[in-house]
Amino acid sequence: MELNWLGVIAALATFLSIWLGHVGVRKIEARSPTIWLPTMIVLALGLAFEIGALLTSSIGLSAALGITGMILLWDALEFSRQQKRVQKGHAPANPKNLRHARILATYPSATTIDWLNRQPGNNSLTPKIDDPSSQENIR
Amino acid sequence: MNLFGLAIGFIALAIIGLGFFWVIRGEYYFGVLWWPYILGFGLLLILSSLFIASVWGSALLGIVGASLAWGSTELKDQSRRAELGWYPVNQKPKPQPPLANKIKKLKAPNL
Repeated sequence: MELNWLGVIAALATFLSIWLGHVGVRKIEARSPTIWLPTMIVLALGLAFEIGALLTSSIGLSAALGITGMILLWDALEFSRQQKRVQKGHAPANPKNLRHARILATYPSATTIDWLNRQPGNNSLTPKIDDPSSQENIR
Repeated sequence: MNLFGLAIGFIALAIIGLGFFWVIRGEYYFGVLWWPYILGFGLLLILSSLFIASVWGSALLGIVGASLAWGSTELKDQSRRAELGWYPVNQKPKPQPPLANKIKKLKAPNL
């Protein structure tokens, strides 16, 4: 019997796009001076992928572009959501980024600590800091 | 015009959206230790999509499988979020999966 690879293509597009967005949004939001610029670039990229999905006659390519494009469009929204997490202290602020430095000065809940970067069951609320240079920035 | 990609993309987004829900509920009621079974089930779905001749059936099975596989890597972060008080903690004991002691020795994936 002939194997149908469309499911594997769809699975790879889904998993890899989520992974890329999950890591990429955090890294870019932490470094970018503004959030509107990455938002606009990723929005345009997502729309371009969807146009590509419409124009191709290949069903596999259409699925891969369609899925990746939709996840990119979601990622465009995530830049704003990520900034809110930084304001709440649920994601670490990067003091070298002027926008984040302003957040640290304005929002008492903002912190440079990455609370998620630990194993479950480690309940002490004094975090282990790997980078000694970040010690001075703990609030 | 090929509307397949756009349609399957929308559906993928909805299935991923369900992931937010089941990861939170799953961690609350079952706990992080079930991750190898969820990952395995996701991979099994992706593998079985190879044998589905239907275009929609194969693509949907692949997307659901990939979303389950991703969710299994989110359980560790979710249990930290609950510990930190960002989400409610279930005080009742969680059901232990088969081979729980072996799973405890593994490092839960977290991408």
